[in-house]
Amino acid sequence: MLQNELFNNVIHDFNAGYWELHSDPDREVWSDKFYENLDYKKSEIQSTIDYFLKHLIHNDDNETFRDNFLNYRRNSINFKQHVKIRAADGNYKLFRCATNDQLPVNIKSETSFVFFIEIKLEPEEDISKDNFYYKETAQMTSTGSWYVDFQERKSYWDFETRRILEYPDDYVPSLKDSAKYYAKESRQQAADLFFNCAMVGTPFNTEIKMMTANNREFWGKAIGKPVYNKNKEIVGIRGVFQDIDEVKRKEIRLQKSIDIIASQNSRLFNFAHIVSHNLRSHTSNLSLLVQLIEDITDPKEKIDLIKEIKEISLSLNTTIEHLNEIVAIHTNIGQEKKPVKFKEALKLVTHGIGRMISTSKAMIKSDFSELDTIDYIPAYLESILLNLITNAIKYKHPDRDPVIEIKTFIKNNIGYLKISDNGIGIDMKLFKDKIFGMYKTFHYNSDAVGIGLFLTKNQVESLNGKISVDSEVNKGTSFIIEF
Amino acid sequence: MNHEIGLACIIDDDKMYVNLVKRIVEAKHLCKNLMVFKNGMDALNYFEALLTSLDKNTIPEIIFLDLNMPIMDGWEFLEKFTKIKNKLGKTIVLYIVSSSINPVDIERAKGINTVKDYLIKPVTIEELEAVFLNKAQE
Repeated sequence: MLQNELFNNVIHDFNAGYWELHSDPDREVWSDKFYENLDYKKSEIQSTIDYFLKHLIHNDDNETFRDNFLNYRRNSINFKQHVKIRAADGNYKLFRCATNDQLPVNIKSETSFVFFIEIKLEPEEDISKDNFYYKETAQMTSTGSWYVDFQERKSYWDFETRRILEYPDDYVPSLKDSAKYYAKESRQQAADLFFNCAMVGTPFNTEIKMMTANNREFWGKAIGKPVYNKNKEIVGIRGVFQDIDEVKRKEIRLQKSIDIIASQNSRLFNFAHIVSHNLRSHTSNLSLLVQLIEDITDPKEKIDLIKEIKEISLSLNTTIEHLNEIVAIHTNIGQEKKPVKFKEALKLVTHGIGRMISTSKAMIKSDFSELDTIDYIPAYLESILLNLITNAIKYKHPDRDPVIEIKTFIKNNIGYLKISDNGIGIDMKLFKDKIFGMYKTFHYNSDAVGIGLFLTKNQVESLNGKISVDSEVNKGTSFIIEF
Repeated sequence: MNHEIGLACIIDDDKMYVNLVKRIVEAKHLCKNLMVFKNGMDALNYFEALLTSLDKNTIPEIIFLDLNMPIMDGWEFLEKFTKIKNKLGKTIVLYIVSSSINPVDIERAKGINTVKDYLIKPVTIEELEAVFLNKAQE
């Protein structure tokens, strides 16, 4: 048995198993660690050199070890060699085998030892560990690496890049195909980024819409930086693609909600302003009237003034009705979107104002060939058409009969309705900001109320659309509604 | 020195308001004549026409100007009126009378030289009397 504590520690730190040679050649003392290294229980194997040679040591090492061992036992000749020993699982493990002369100098031992120090293939294992972490990181963050080699004119992708872009494992990326890894609208952006990186070494880190082999579009993050050779020339671009689709989509949804909330807030504010302003003018008049009634002594005059209250009350009612209409629009009460045919909506409207059209000799030309149906609240579309057509007729040019052109079209996947007339026009420099305001009129016509365009705008916006106007005095006006 | 105001002018599109002020002016004998324009453009046309045939009796001593009007609002009228008022050869005091209680409007109005004061609707009979009295005592 070992007595030397220091030696014990060393053995422990070495993580080595050993044999202590016994005078009885049939009874070697094998250390716990020796069993442990090979996963054997003490009862499973016999601790003799014969058993070792017969069952444990690899054939390749058998003879050399036997010779070395016997020489050591008999003649105390130290030796060193590598041996492969069969472990409990049947696989061989490699050990460095050494004897007493390998001990540190400060340990003097009377006993003869044979040490078996396991050789672990450390460097190789480290690489596989790193590789494991890299793969985990790549998969968990959906981040693929790539390299574009300008000299060889080749691209390299790792497994994750292929996975993100839904290409098979044996797919060979190509510079020629590089455009198709991006969504159509992002191709120019990608080309610019790579060009700048390749030519002047500008690194990039951007969000870009990409496209998979299955033509599925997704938001990715593309990071790239130039690779230089010894002569400081750019020989390639190295970088990563990350799939950030989920995050980006959430961000876009969030931004949309913010936009909607902001626009609703601004409309609410606007509405509060309108309510306050429009009611104020009536209450002011009422207050002035009451003062006057109190101030006047003649009873007959007083009664005359009381009649005025009726008038104020009437106009107050009208205002409240207008306000109610706006509230109704914004809550879309009892209104449901359904497919509406422009042609039919127009027919309804022109039928309703047939007399106005015929007396003004107005000509209405329509073209709904590009977009004939839209999902809309039917009453709103009719109201919009009615307002814009009656405006066009009301503000016709005195020298010519009104011609109204109504056309639908599609641009960038968005539907539009354009209504143009040849009327007197509106001075855009003066009234641009006021055209859609409530109670704003720009003409001397006595029947101008200033509510129509305000309602139209509210109807369009309540369904998330936009309305814009362009006009030239004496030439005409055109309204464009974006659905 | 006290004198009766000969001519005052209201520029306002609210018919009811104009009608009521008219009655107060008559009942209180605040001035001999009152002229009314329903927007800035009509008023401006009148004053521009005056430049060619100056007749002091047709120039108002007091103007009550509303801000929110169609065709030409109070602000635009003020801008154009300021350019020609010195050629009229008579001091005209101008009050803004508006239902806007927006501080931005009030500050803006008070920053304009031509504006004597900013009256918020509803005006009181006392306020109107004070305006006429002030001018009469000049």
